[in-house]
Amino acid sequence: MKEPPDILLVDDNPADVGLTREVLAASTHHSNIHNVPDGEEAIAFLRRRGKYTEAARPDLVMLDLNMPRKGGQAVLAEVKTDPGLRTIPIVVFTTSHADKDITHSYELGANCYVSKPGNLGDYFSAVQSIEEFWFGFTSLPH
Amino acid sequence: MSETVTVDQVDVPEIRPIVRFSALLVEDNLADSELVLRELRRGGFEVTCDVVQTADEFRQKLQSTTPDVVLADYNLGSWRGMEALEILRSAGLDIPLILVSGAVGDVTAVECIKQGATDYVLKDSLTRLPASVRRALEEKQVRKERRQAEADLAKKAAELARSNRDLEQFAYVASHDLQEPLRMVAAYTQLLAERYSDQLDENARKYIQYTLEGALRMQTLVQDLLTFSRVGRNRTRTHLASDAAVREALKNLQAALQESGAVVHHGGLPAVGADRMQLVQLFQNLIGNAIKFRGEKAPVITVRAETSESEWVFSVSDNGIGIAAEHLEAVFVIFQRLHTRTEYPGNGVGLAICKKIVEQHGGRIWVESKAGEGASFKFTLPASFADGEMDHTQ
Amino acid sequence: MNDIEVDILLVEDSQDDIDLALHTLRRENLANHIFVVHDGQEALDFLFCSGPYADRNAEHMPKLILLDLKLPKIDGLDVLRQLRAHPRTSTLPVVIMTSSKEEKDVASGYNLGVNSYIQKPVDFEQFRQTVKTIGLYWLLINQRPQNHSTKKLAEPVKP
Repeated sequence: MKEPPDILLVDDNPADVGLTREVLAASTHHSNIHNVPDGEEAIAFLRRRGKYTEAARPDLVMLDLNMPRKGGQAVLAEVKTDPGLRTIPIVVFTTSHADKDITHSYELGANCYVSKPGNLGDYFSAVQSIEEFWFGFTSLPH
Repeated sequence: MSETVTVDQVDVPEIRPIVRFSALLVEDNLADSELVLRELRRGGFEVTCDVVQTADEFRQKLQSTTPDVVLADYNLGSWRGMEALEILRSAGLDIPLILVSGAVGDVTAVECIKQGATDYVLKDSLTRLPASVRRALEEKQVRKERRQAEADLAKKAAELARSNRDLEQFAYVASHDLQEPLRMVAAYTQLLAERYSDQLDENARKYIQYTLEGALRMQTLVQDLLTFSRVGRNRTRTHLASDAAVREALKNLQAALQESGAVVHHGGLPAVGADRMQLVQLFQNLIGNAIKFRGEKAPVITVRAETSESEWVFSVSDNGIGIAAEHLEAVFVIFQRLHTRTEYPGNGVGLAICKKIVEQHGGRIWVESKAGEGASFKFTLPASFADGEMDHTQ
Repeated sequence: MNDIEVDILLVEDSQDDIDLALHTLRRENLANHIFVVHDGQEALDFLFCSGPYADRNAEHMPKLILLDLKLPKIDGLDVLRQLRAHPRTSTLPVVIMTSSKEEKDVASGYNLGVNSYIQKPVDFEQFRQTVKTIGLYWLLINQRPQNHSTKKLAEPVKP
């Protein structure tokens, strides 16, 4: 992965985005955080279309499921079937812990699935763990 | 001068409501058919009538009309009146058939009735015919009403099942969608409390504290509601050892068991037909409660099962604080609590979940207890099931 | 054996690495049942319940597969390819743990749908730390898909 790494945060809730940004800002990796509010913007960012022609290729995508216009699962379906994009690790990070959402996300090719904890402390830990695992231990495709 | 006049009893037939009906006569003798009709009219019937002689005519007539009663001669030359019964059966028609015939002997008469004829009236006892027809029509009416009642009941049951599914769906969706805004409230209130408390005065800190408590409690309530509404989704029933379910529940309760020094006796529990996850949840909630609501002594909990005709009666008994008589039913109501949160934690959903699980398996659950003398939670499970989907909501 | 539910399937042919991984996972209490196979063929037989594992209960799939790449008989990428091709095993979480630093292996791994790719550290202590982190992340933080019958058990209760 590049230094500093790029994270694409796909989430329409500014409150959650705020929390996530706080945790990531405190980490040693100093990732660049890019936030888009829905699936269509996410695809545009990944394909470098429209206003995203200069966009960096993310080293990690954190993807919410429940979003207007295009939801997370539609993004998964598109990205994971595109040979040019499918090696990008996607962590589904969303409120739902419904089995059908979990299973369906895996079927669409999610690399992993983490439910956003309700408790603030646990939420922070979860984001930290995600970032630490993917940037501290995992080898990422370039 | 008064005169007493006595009027001789005249044989007046009992006044009955005039019954109109349509008959299909299967008779090759014109005179006989007229006799039959006359007798019916004397019996107080207004009867419209068709007469057929052969099986083909019979079939054809049935295609264009549906008589209320079929009156058939037993001996019709080329065919027998009982064949008419066959024709009615294979057409799926519920029309009573009364044989009107010359003497054939009791054995044959009984045989015909066994085979499905509604009655057998001899031609030289035609006076019996009206009563026979009346009875046949009444029985048919009763059958029709019962079929209607059954159809209504089935329809109501289906509506109820659909309504239940809708409610479950609603509870699930509502609690699922409530989680995100709740998290926003709880998380940011907590951040306020943590990061700005030294810039706030005593009152403001208190307000934030109450807000946060409210938000956190809402979070667990919503999670409990979600758990409750999820009980029953994707149920499958398999044959399993309830002993194994208890062991799994105990594994999940390990921390609580150790902390309380609880001892749980179980053994000799039967194999039952149940959903494995739900059975584990059921035991886990009951045993967990037994541990939670303990008194001074370390909890001693016994899980037993007795067989009683077509069902198993399980009991989870403890030596804890018990339940007062007036609360024995309320404990199973969702969110109903008997103690304050500072006395015992929890939202009051565990037993409501147990009740839902037991009832979905076709059983009942209740508690026997006295305040201060421990409690014995009992539930039944039917003794035998085939493996597969459970459909107690149908 | 046929009914034990395996938490982690470790596909590894180096005995040293096996020992260290098992030691770490057990010490951290991350998994109760870890099953080891030493080559790609055995891994596939285990997961597809064939060959010497024909009697294994197909409903019990491991929660996580730790997969080395350089394996005898059938190599790791091939194992991965076959797993992802079969609906019964296509969503099983697979973490490649290998000494290979080759960019093409990393790319191939992700292309074939590996959940994550980890290089085995040479250092003993770092290796331990890596295994521990993998276990924590994939068994505790990550939510697993329902593979037909890895039904989520009733949640353990906090006292």
